Amino acid sequence: MSAGGDLIEKTAERHLREPWDELGLAGDRAFAYQRAGATFGIWIFIASEVLFFGALFLLYTAMRLEHAADFAIAARETNIVYGTLNTALLLTSGLCAAIASQASEQKGLQRLTLWCLGATVLLGLAFMAVKGVEYREDIEKHLLPGASFALKEPTTQLFFGFYWLATSIHAIHLSIGIALVVRLIWKEWREPGFLFESPQVEVAMLYWGFVDMIWIVLYPMLYLDGRAG
Amino acid sequence: MSERSRTSIGRIWRRGLIVWVLLLAFLALSLFAAYAAPASWAAPINFGIAATQAALVALLLMRLDRADALVRLAAACGLFWLAILFALTLTDTLSRLANS
Repeated sequence: MSAGGDLIEKTAERHLREPWDELGLAGDRAFAYQRAGATFGIWIFIASEVLFFGALFLLYTAMRLEHAADFAIAARETNIVYGTLNTALLLTSGLCAAIASQASEQKGLQRLTLWCLGATVLLGLAFMAVKGVEYREDIEKHLLPGASFALKEPTTQLFFGFYWLATSIHAIHLSIGIALVVRLIWKEWREPGFLFESPQVEVAMLYWGFVDMIWIVLYPMLYLDGRAG
Repeated sequence: MSERSRTSIGRIWRRGLIVWVLLLAFLALSLFAAYAAPASWAAPINFGIAATQAALVALLLMRLDRADALVRLAAACGLFWLAILFALTLTDTLSRLANS
């Protein structure tokens, strides 16, 4: 895998999307506009996702204000080892994603970009694997809200309702992120040099960073509450 | 690999690794605070640390620090509407709790 000089020279032609030519701009300038548009677009999307998750976090906040003692009892039942390990995995994947994004913007760093994308996917998959093991343990401990729920305090079921909802929605987002990064790797394999200056790398990596941020907020909600004392 | 590429790689990694070490240090700190801090202080400390970590990711890994004004405005709008969502709902919830 390498990007020859001709590939690098044709960056604008490779990434530009129709109908750029109707703007009557030179290729490089049109590409710069499209790149800025892609970044702006993903940030608009992230802002809307902030509100989506924000509603969930607000639900947690309101329920915790009313049932603080029961929420502390419930949070003590989550596995802090898995939670902390997964946080470290996601933070590390965020580093790889950021490196991939920055490396893709520079000549001669396609190999680094590809390696970092690969590491991002592997760390994302490792997160999913740990989460799967944790889910199995949670089910075995009867922490799924319902008739056979393990804890006797009634509002602990509210906590675990939130736990399953928030972690599964986060896992869906992470799966989409993994699919996006795998697609980028596949595109590079099919068309060597694709990753260089591709706005798609930055967009996918910004999405990955957002998914990271959501977990950063979920971690104290689900794993750290009720441990003191 | 050219000398210039090596310099670029060094610069990209150095910056990224500093942020990563900071994020992991904050993770360790929040884990410690969850067990060691007084119960009433644990939640504010841990959510404060989470907010700091999220800000580090947004500014230094997602590069809001070098983004243009329009992108920063989009990010700020998300936080602004989130603040309205929380403020209006919690005004109601907290006032009910205070008077119950």
